Amino acid sequence: MKTFEENWTAWLDGELTGKELVEFEASLPDKPTAEVEKEDAKKLGAFLKEQLTAPAMRNEEFFHHRLREQMGSEAVAATPARVAQPELRETWWTIGRLLWTGATSLAIFAVCTFFVLREKNIGGQSAYVTQILNARVDPVVSPNATISMFETKEDKVTVLWVEGLQSLPSEFAAK
Amino acid sequence: MRARALFLLATVLSFAVSAPAQAAETVWSGLVMANNVAEPAPIPAELNRLEGTLKQLFGYNQFQIIGQSRKSLKSGEEDWLATSKYFALHVDSKAAARSSYLLNLQLFQEEKLLLETDANLSKSSPLVIKGPQVGDGVLVLLLVIE
Repeated sequence: MKTFEENWTAWLDGELTGKELVEFEASLPDKPTAEVEKEDAKKLGAFLKEQLTAPAMRNEEFFHHRLREQMGSEAVAATPARVAQPELRETWWTIGRLLWTGATSLAIFAVCTFFVLREKNIGGQSAYVTQILNARVDPVVSPNATISMFETKEDKVTVLWVEGLQSLPSEFAAK
Repeated sequence: MRARALFLLATVLSFAVSAPAQAAETVWSGLVMANNVAEPAPIPAELNRLEGTLKQLFGYNQFQIIGQSRKSLKSGEEDWLATSKYFALHVDSKAAARSSYLLNLQLFQEEKLLLETDANLSKSSPLVIKGPQVGDGVLVLLLVIE
């Protein structure tokens, strides 16, 4: 047995039919007022149906982006933990450059060595001490002359010692 | 990269090749009379550095310059004379290695060639030549790069 309120709601919604409809409408004390209320309820229902529909979604791209981000982060979280790898830094010293630098350094070293050795070996003697290469006297003028050479150790003076040259009188010492 | 390496090599080569070029240096050449006297004169400034060596070598207490020449070598290939009244020292130079000169030395007594020698004169090493006996002393030839 339905209550009055249940029958009233069903009547407003148009769900009563047949015998139930006839009996309910006969039980109404003021049928014209009830019809007006039914009409108002229908209008209200139509209005609410119209206003309460889901709003059209804006910024569709943004929504999709956020959605993909979410899916990506979930996919990463779902994969097994990876071993952390050291970050590889790019350096100027590539293999090619290292080879070129090494070859250039060797060439410079060879060139410098060549010039240094060449200078030291001129005449087969050191460039830092005076060297007497040869000495001669006129055998006719000084037949008994002897020549010797040596170097003093203290101040690196090189000495050419000539004995037996013709002696001269003191006036030859004039300026 | 290749261009940079070649540039570096060329720079080093040019430096190495130009390194033997010498700055102008002065060669002092002197004719010095050495003898023993009771009151020796002060040794000339040019011989200060060699005083001890000269006294030790020759055993004299006085050294006097009777002729000298100071020649600034620019090309390294120059010749000059240091003369006294009776002697002349002719020097003919050729540039050799760094800080040294190849010299041809000729000692003349007036027109007569007494002695000739070739020497490689170094900046850090003076050349001393014992010449003929003159009176009670000896003639000494000196060459120094200043």
